[in-house]
Amino acid sequence: MAYKGHNINPQKFNKSQIKIIIAIMPLILFMGLPIVFIINHAFKPMEELFAYPPKFFVSKPTLDNFDKLFKASRMAGIPMSRYVFNSILVITVVVVASLVLSTMAGFALSKLRFKGKNLFININQAALMFVAVAVMIPRYLTINFLGITNTYLAHILPWLATPVALFLIKQFIDQVPDSLIEAAYIDGAGDFKVYRKIIIPLIKPAIATAAILIFQQVWVDLSTSNYYVNDEGLKTLAFYMNTLANANTNVAGQGMAAAASLIMFIPNLIMFILLQNSIMNTMAHSGLK
Amino acid sequence: MGKKEKVKKVKIGKLAKREARYGYIFIAPWLIGAVLFLIKPLIESFQFSLADIRMTPFGRRITFVGYENYTQIWLEDKDFPFMLAAYFLETLMSVPIIVVFALIIAMLLNGKIKFKGTFRLIFFLPVIIVSGPVMLMLTGQGAATISSINIQAIYNTLAIYMPNYLASAIADVFGNMIMILWYSGVQILIFLSALQKIDSSLYEAAKIDGGSGWECFWKITLPLIKPMVLLNAVYTVIFISNNENNSIINIIQSAMFAGNKGYGYASAMAWMYSLAETLIIGIVALVMLTRKDAYDKQVRKFRKEMRKEQRAIKRARRKGMRYAARVNKKLNKALKAAEPAEANKQR
Repeated sequence: MAYKGHNINPQKFNKSQIKIIIAIMPLILFMGLPIVFIINHAFKPMEELFAYPPKFFVSKPTLDNFDKLFKASRMAGIPMSRYVFNSILVITVVVVASLVLSTMAGFALSKLRFKGKNLFININQAALMFVAVAVMIPRYLTINFLGITNTYLAHILPWLATPVALFLIKQFIDQVPDSLIEAAYIDGAGDFKVYRKIIIPLIKPAIATAAILIFQQVWVDLSTSNYYVNDEGLKTLAFYMNTLANANTNVAGQGMAAAASLIMFIPNLIMFILLQNSIMNTMAHSGLK
Repeated sequence: MGKKEKVKKVKIGKLAKREARYGYIFIAPWLIGAVLFLIKPLIESFQFSLADIRMTPFGRRITFVGYENYTQIWLEDKDFPFMLAAYFLETLMSVPIIVVFALIIAMLLNGKIKFKGTFRLIFFLPVIIVSGPVMLMLTGQGAATISSINIQAIYNTLAIYMPNYLASAIADVFGNMIMILWYSGVQILIFLSALQKIDSSLYEAAKIDGGSGWECFWKITLPLIKPMVLLNAVYTVIFISNNENNSIINIIQSAMFAGNKGYGYASAMAWMYSLAETLIIGIVALVMLTRKDAYDKQVRKFRKEMRKEQRAIKRARRKGMRYAARVNKKLNKALKAAEPAEANKQR
């Protein structure tokens, strides 16, 4: 297969493309809908937020909602920057560490031979099925046992072994041809070198996808802040936004919730734009086959 | 051969040993995390599901009650069994829709069209929204339903032809159509990557032989991306089930802190829920896996035949040996009987 690289758009426009574009266009509109909605919603003034039937587009945009949100945060004892810092620290460590763990484990489970391999795969699959809510309290017991309540570790450790990421990555590593790895072994590469020089570059799209999945899971998560951390100064931004929006469940709170959800959404978008290049070039140059 | 020869245990070679060691090294960090935060909590939650747990000022009080939580859920809970059944049907129905939709979109996006990159981006975008509070807000605003589809009408029409619960499940699928489309971002991506890996010379060869696009799809594309279809189906089930918008999860969560139910009850619910989920995945996998390709079938048949033949040969050999042994024994007896007689005669 030829190397396609970054340029996936064909240069020429052909008449035969029109029918495909016609088929895709309405679906594109559906897909774009939520984003347009979130952005519009955050700028709606009070009377439009509660208009019935609900309006999709904003007609008189204001910054009122953001203003209220920041005013409310100024009244709290802890500055917002503290929560932002907490969130960024936690999320960076979680994404990097869990990706390293998942790719290493995925490589071992997919390509190396050792005793108990199938058992581990089954365990991961079983864990995949299980809802996170159910293990909340046993996790708290573990965290308590390790003595890491009220530290950053309480935010980080529960997320490190992410079954979904491992499942996805393992499935992609399965697709990497064995002959490529064997060739590397013959040329004298060790396991770590194979992992670093062959597996990682080849499954970059899967890594990027897993990164986004982990990111958004952790970014909006409230449970670690809710249950494992008591210290207000160590909680995350998601928790803070949630309390702000919930504390004012009156009419004014609605606008703040809309603004908060836009603020929570923007990092997701940035993350996506950063990673989309490697995601979209999925496997275009994955070597053999 | 009077003495039994002891079979020497085969030692693992140096290379295999080294590989195994590296396997453990690679998996160790993940394993530690998994044991602490997945396996141990899972086991504990199972234990809790068999117990009644009360939070008292003096700490937790756990009394073992056996399967009482489970019977209580099935016999007394007024929501959970019905919701579980509804979830089961709905998921079974929406998984094929999502997977097929994702496949169609992926096929369309894999063609040579202008703005392909932009299109792909837009189709993946919902992924970054569908989880979390944003989605809750959207559904709350009614943005996730198509208002022009009359759900009630669909339900009424369906209810004539099929049992009530099935009709309502199908109507729900129609009602949440947009939601379902939003869920398919990752699936489209996975399909796209699989489609791009298919060697284009295969299609060329098929075209030379006169295969149409339709035939190419069924004979080349589908068999080659089959593993990815399974992956996508499983991923979809898990995604739907572990979504925060899922009502069952909310029930479990509220039961956890309810005074009359408690954590043990919630654990039992969660175990039941994951069992249902496993069942769905099992069904999906069964549907996918039963269809083997013709080549695979032939190989399997051939192997089976070979094994049969081998067994027949072995049996024949064993029979022969037994026969030989019998003859030998008889001969020996006869000889022994004859020996003394001969010896007497000689004397």
